[in-house]
Amino acid sequence: MEILSNLMNGFAVALVPINLWWCFVGVFLGTVVGILPGLGPSATIALLLPLATQMNPTAGIIMMSGIYYGAKYGGSTTSILLNVPGESASVVTCLDGFEMARNGRAGPALGIAAISSFIAGTVGVILLMLVAPPVAEFALRFGPPEYFALMAFGLSMVVLLAGKSMLKALLSMFVGLWLATIGIDMFTDTERYTLDQIELLDGVQFVVVAIGTFAIGEVLANLTSDSKQAAFVVPKGVRNLMPTWQDIKDSRFAFLNGSIVGFFVGVLPGAGSTIASFVSYGIEKAVSKHPEKFGTGVVEGVAAPEAANNSETGGALVPLMTLGIPGSATTAILLAAFILWGLRPGPLLIQDHPELFWGLVASMYIGNVMLLILNLPLVPLFAQILKLPGYVLYPVILGVSIIGVYSVDQRLLDTWLVAFFGLLGFLMRKTDYPAAPLILGLVLGDLMENAVRQSLMMSQGDVSILYTRPLALVILVMTSAVLLGPLFRQVASWRTKVADQEA
Amino acid sequence: MRVAATMNFWKSLNKSELVAAGLLIALGVSIVQQARDWVYVTPDGPGPGFFPLWIGSAIIALATVVVLRHLFAVFRQQPVAKINWKGTRRVLLGWTGLAVSIALLEPAGFVVSFLLLVLFLVMVIYRRSFIAALCVGLGATAGFWILFVKLLQVQLPAGPWGF
Repeated sequence: MEILSNLMNGFAVALVPINLWWCFVGVFLGTVVGILPGLGPSATIALLLPLATQMNPTAGIIMMSGIYYGAKYGGSTTSILLNVPGESASVVTCLDGFEMARNGRAGPALGIAAISSFIAGTVGVILLMLVAPPVAEFALRFGPPEYFALMAFGLSMVVLLAGKSMLKALLSMFVGLWLATIGIDMFTDTERYTLDQIELLDGVQFVVVAIGTFAIGEVLANLTSDSKQAAFVVPKGVRNLMPTWQDIKDSRFAFLNGSIVGFFVGVLPGAGSTIASFVSYGIEKAVSKHPEKFGTGVVEGVAAPEAANNSETGGALVPLMTLGIPGSATTAILLAAFILWGLRPGPLLIQDHPELFWGLVASMYIGNVMLLILNLPLVPLFAQILKLPGYVLYPVILGVSIIGVYSVDQRLLDTWLVAFFGLLGFLMRKTDYPAAPLILGLVLGDLMENAVRQSLMMSQGDVSILYTRPLALVILVMTSAVLLGPLFRQVASWRTKVADQEA
Repeated sequence: MRVAATMNFWKSLNKSELVAAGLLIALGVSIVQQARDWVYVTPDGPGPGFFPLWIGSAIIALATVVVLRHLFAVFRQQPVAKINWKGTRRVLLGWTGLAVSIALLEPAGFVVSFLLLVLFLVMVIYRRSFIAALCVGLGATAGFWILFVKLLQVQLPAGPWGF
């Protein structure tokens, strides 16, 4: 009852015209920066920080959070239409989203992405409202060994991302893990694999590898033939550009799976939306009646990661608001904004400033509705991009890729690297090495290495710390089940074959 | 007889598969070699060489299994998929155009280098007319310049002409 009355007070704050306006500005800007690769929400929020600190805290946090979750909405657009993942969490959306576009179903893919983002965004807000304090306390029980187990669980998703060959998927993942070691080792200040290039001291940026292997690799693969027709088939009529009831029905479990996984992974500082999107995709594939169709353009393959990606926003705000712990670059900038306003996020924030917390929660409900209204009508318009002939579309993708990569740090080396990874992506396609495990390894490698090294420092080299703590053990058992699943299935199929032959 | 069998075995191999695995083994060896120069374990715990050493070793082991599995499959005369490299010349030509355009980014600026890339792709790779190439090139370049440089204030390399 108390929650309801608090929420009503929150709506009274959020529905003030000026707060509604800043909510709209935030979600609109967020959608735009989400669509454009390279311009992430953290950079946009950082740019707007001086402006936001001049506003009252409630309006400022409403606008900045709008950018944060709005960017998650926009991120799916280029992944589905152009195979250009603007952020690491959108990589999984490319797998089935772009295939749907290739099959003439770009509109339904974009529509499902918007609907699942709306549902998951709303679920994320509800969970933020209901379970914030106890969940935040639970997240504090995650030490380095538990993080190691979580990263191992994330990496085990490679089993579900493997295409024709598990061996090749594992190799791809290990190369990604190696790429993550490039740069300065934070523990000892040792330069690793930098080839004496100052630009490589920070390591290889995820966006460079993802845009190279996915977007440029795709463009190069399409250069093998010169089709006179449009690059993709786009069906006529608005009805064919929207998801059908069957699509929504097929995605109902994916909405739920993505929303819950996204929120709880989001609560863990540092885990982020990437691991949430990979894990929810993996779960979706594991429980699907037709797992073999994943990667060929199934609607659940878009709904699950998009839901996880958006629900993670609500989760990520939990440790920030209740404990003052930022879990990502974006929430770290939000924390900076709180401090500039003279507020201290922590256990007393909700008690001392209820108008801010509940105003934000209510504005996120409103923002999610705004995003749905803003995005769904644009689906048919965006889908028309695919009507462009190849000789127009592919140079445009190259342009977006170069700008997206260069705009991150204004480094020429990144544009060379994106060209290199583009060629690598093409060769990987040809030799059946999947690219998604490479990205998975790159994104999680750094986190995993830190977790292992911190754990072993804690135990003074005793490896048992990695598997003896109860929470870590539970996650590692789940990881083993995922990794050994295909082996058990293989053995079962051999036994059936032998039994059939004997009969 | 033995020569014919060897020739047959050689012909049945998927060389691309072996070259890819060979390159991965070479990468793994160089990762391990470099990692051996760094401390494996410090008094505080694992050193900078710890993780790379394990990663490099795993790459060598897995790539070796890929090679052995392939050789075993060919030896047992199991069907081996061949890779179709048709059209790869066009891909390499397109990629060279991209590389040249990147090399021109700093001396000539984004506008000129990207315009040249589009002209090259549309005329040489897609064999369309100069007018079509110019329309696509000018349209895309102007669109990007207005959207990113003017509206979003993204800093892109500028040539001697200021754009």
